[in-house]
Amino acid sequence: MPSTVELPGLDELKVEEVQVSSAVLKAAAHHYGSQCDKPNKEFMLCRWEEKDPRKCLEEGKQVNACAMNFFRQIKGSCAESFTEYWTCLDYSSTAELRRCRKQQEKFDNCVLDKLGWQRPDLGELSKVTKVTTSRPLPENPYHSRERPEPNKITEGKLVPSKHGSAVFFWNW
Amino acid sequence: MSLWRSCPVALIAESSAQLTLSFCCGLKKMAASKVKQDMPPPGGYGPVDYKRNLPKRGLSGYSMFGIGLGVMVFGYWRLFKWNRERRRLQIEDFEARLALMPLLQAEHDRRTLRIMRENLEEEAILMKDVPGWKIGESVYNTDRWVIPTSDELFNLRPREELLHTNLGFRWYV
Repeated sequence: MPSTVELPGLDELKVEEVQVSSAVLKAAAHHYGSQCDKPNKEFMLCRWEEKDPRKCLEEGKQVNACAMNFFRQIKGSCAESFTEYWTCLDYSSTAELRRCRKQQEKFDNCVLDKLGWQRPDLGELSKVTKVTTSRPLPENPYHSRERPEPNKITEGKLVPSKHGSAVFFWNW
Repeated sequence: MSLWRSCPVALIAESSAQLTLSFCCGLKKMAASKVKQDMPPPGGYGPVDYKRNLPKRGLSGYSMFGIGLGVMVFGYWRLFKWNRERRRLQIEDFEARLALMPLLQAEHDRRTLRIMRENLEEEAILMKDVPGWKIGESVYNTDRWVIPTSDELFNLRPREELLHTNLGFRWYV
């Protein structure tokens, strides 16, 4: 029978949002992927296993917290080179990374010196990772009904039909 | 008339410089030397080049084919190299998207849930006096999370927001 859809209240959804535009995110994406790896992967694992956004609000909050911390660290140490980098990216609508290699190198060196972060090489962010969580694996995430019982095994002697196939014109 | 016959035919074969003079033998002498005419240079014209002149020059056919083929091969090599570089750049772009996806997904989830919550509260206000209406009732027979349609989410909002959600990425409509 149809039941009510449970929704969380507005207070539970209140989180410190990252108020930042797309060029900034793309500029910081590679470092963000390697630094905030753990909470990101946990959130995605939760989302994909539970298939329900209401169950993953906690992990989502941790993702946001890590992102805020990440941007705060950048703002604290490498603000100028980062600003130059993302303004260069923002210049075009396609935000091609290959147009801004000089600024990228400057930003990478600054971040490596001050914070010790290494930019991940090509292909490292797309590697499949294993995530350890304390959350148990949900059973029946699709809330499917009980499966019907399988058919019983046919008893008796099985012989081919007497006059050939009753379905079509061939005789086997 | 007898004067004509006395002029020998061989005189016609003489050089053209004296042709006019020899033609006038016996006739009244014209004042030819006094009139300024456009005459050929003294000594006549030089030898005229009339024989076939098709010099053998330039590359042979084979070498021209070879050069063309070489240029093509060089072009292909450059193309393949640049395509590999483009593949690497594409992987870099995809990795940037991969890295940002959890953040964007979390924000999207929160936004959806917020809109649904606001819709629920609006529904409670609007359908307060309708008999037999269960507020927040699911239209499906299941308990699982059904991804809400954009129509359902933006029902109570101006149409512009719905259009922006559905068509915002397009350049044309």
